[in-house]
Amino acid sequence: MKKFLAMLLAIVAVLGLSACTKDDGLTMWCIATKSDSNRHSYEEAIKEMEKKYPDTKLNWEAIENETYKQKIKAAVAGDNMPDIFFTWSCAFLGDFVKEDKVYCLDDAYKGFADKLPEKMCKNTTYNGKKYGVPLTMNIVGLFANMDILKEVGYDKVPGSYTELIECCDKLVAAGKIPFGCAGKETWCVTEYLESIIEKSIGAKALDDIFCNGATWDNPDVAKAVTIFQDMIDKKYFDPDGVSLGNDAVKQNFIDGKYAFYMNGTWNCADFSQKGPKNCQVAEFPVIDDSKAKLGQLIGGPSDTLAVAKSAKDAENTAKYTFELGQLICKYGYLDGCGLPAWTVDYDASSVNELTRSVADIVAKSDYMVLFGDTAMPSDEAGKYLEQVALVYTKQVDGAGFIAALKAAIR
Amino acid sequence: MKSKKYDGVTIFLFLLPALLLFVGILVAPMASSAINSFYQYKGFGQKTWLGWDNYKRLFNKDFPAYIPFKDSVVHALLLAGFSVFIQLPLALGLALLLGRGIKGERFFLSVNFLPVLISTVVIGQLWLKIFDPRGLLNSLLRLVGYLKEGDDNIQWLAEGQGKLLYSCFIPMLWQYVGYHMLLMYAGVKSVPTELREAAKIDGATDWQVDRFVVIPSMKQIVKVSVIFAITGSLKSYDLIRIIAMNLSTKDASVPSTILMDYMTLRGEYGVASAVAVLLILLCFFFAILISTIFKERD
Repeated sequence: MKKFLAMLLAIVAVLGLSACTKDDGLTMWCIATKSDSNRHSYEEAIKEMEKKYPDTKLNWEAIENETYKQKIKAAVAGDNMPDIFFTWSCAFLGDFVKEDKVYCLDDAYKGFADKLPEKMCKNTTYNGKKYGVPLTMNIVGLFANMDILKEVGYDKVPGSYTELIECCDKLVAAGKIPFGCAGKETWCVTEYLESIIEKSIGAKALDDIFCNGATWDNPDVAKAVTIFQDMIDKKYFDPDGVSLGNDAVKQNFIDGKYAFYMNGTWNCADFSQKGPKNCQVAEFPVIDDSKAKLGQLIGGPSDTLAVAKSAKDAENTAKYTFELGQLICKYGYLDGCGLPAWTVDYDASSVNELTRSVADIVAKSDYMVLFGDTAMPSDEAGKYLEQVALVYTKQVDGAGFIAALKAAIR
Repeated sequence: MKSKKYDGVTIFLFLLPALLLFVGILVAPMASSAINSFYQYKGFGQKTWLGWDNYKRLFNKDFPAYIPFKDSVVHALLLAGFSVFIQLPLALGLALLLGRGIKGERFFLSVNFLPVLISTVVIGQLWLKIFDPRGLLNSLLRLVGYLKEGDDNIQWLAEGQGKLLYSCFIPMLWQYVGYHMLLMYAGVKSVPTELREAAKIDGATDWQVDRFVVIPSMKQIVKVSVIFAITGSLKSYDLIRIIAMNLSTKDASVPSTILMDYMTLRGEYGVASAVAVLLILLCFFFAILISTIFKERD
């Protein structure tokens, strides 16, 4: 009996080892969890890829956003990366590229250059080499509930800053709440603050601060912070927002409790399906027209797929990743989860009205500044988000904000 | 002699699995944290030797992007204080009451222990509904007239308004009353019935029996509860993470939220490791301090 058990254990151990070393296709990690709005586009794209390449099995795993950041960093540290992995552009992927863990996609890109404009790869190009396959792209949009605006005499989204302020005053006087902003999730505050800063100091100046080493010690940034805090003082923002997360604030907008909601355009799909019934999206108006202008946006291509340098048959995996990325982009666009980074060569007539409005805004734009927390390296982004949170709860003013960031970052 | 040597090898072999687990799961990660705490490290790639800079950074206000670690320790100690002076007496009171064999003893025991069995995530979500600006607590305050028509809701969960820390503490204290109660209840029940009866015959009231017979007999249990309450407060994380909803919370920061902030939001594993080392040292320090205090009293 003992001998039999020993044999059995040995067989199990050997089988276990062989399972570990068995080559069973490609592996991919991403953040398209079941509750993620992009899940469907991943599922459809993978289904199509499996049909096209029946011999290549893709074992994919979706991990929640914050956990994913840790998991992928641990995998990079332990040289245990999946063949294909989701990443954010700029600094996040840049850290891995610096460590020489990411496969260069220059050769594979040649086969897709006609479908993927070079400018879409800007945020994942390091030292002139491409390392990422962009998926969909998003900007910050000013979503407006037109039914509420109609009640105070507006039939279109205010186009100038003065008009927006007048509209907000009328809304407050009528007992309506102009804006909802989730104080519990600092990235939601950045959607407002970055737009206000950009439309005060200009896109180039903000881009220089985020990405090109310019100092935070800029009095115009302090002025923009003051404008944002004045809006809070004038009760333009839901006072309960400081205690709420984004889901609650977004739901309040859907339920018609706010006139405006500034957030990423990935919300287009949800607002088209769930309401508010009469919703429009616009660009935040210009505050200082001597420095900023319409067509300067916050956002750009950030969601990206990359290939690990350690990937099996890296060159073919790279080509596979381009094809997969193109399909995820296609289905994501059709679902209304963002704008396509890839050329649209399919019927897109089913795309919702809001997403099409966003496409118009982007088509007219001439400068996009990537979201601050994505553009900056993680240590700088952490310090930046901390100060943004203090701005919203008015624990720091404009001067304090730039002084703190000057000391902490530049 | 040979036999003794053989015994030694046998003992070693029997201890080996536990030793390997202890070293592999506890000692090695602690040592690794201690080593990382002296480096600038992103979690991957090159490590740069910094010496004590990561530790200095936690206490030096002039350091760029200083996160007040001292405040987080003060918050944790405040929670420990609440735990020792509010939660434990409450648990002791319940344990003594139930230990007297009141009617429905088992039922009340289960009811009080129930919050311990519920997942912390669920508890967090329940209390979020209570503290929500339009939640139960503010509705109740409106009902009793504390909040008048037109008054803004009280922001129990907002940063910078001085309430968030307590909004995190209340569910934590509430959840673990049952846990300490159960420990103490076991202590109460372990007191021999003869002792109680003898005191009763001598004319002691229920309170006097508890005060002079039961409580002194369960000193070791109280010591364990105090150690658990204090080290648990120092290590607290989950409920704060859920209720504050933000790792960068200043008002409700505790050492663990600062550790996670440095690690996940800022990618500074070196500083996070320094926080981990200090946290371990603090837990050891308080465990030894409490044992010493109880020993001196003996």
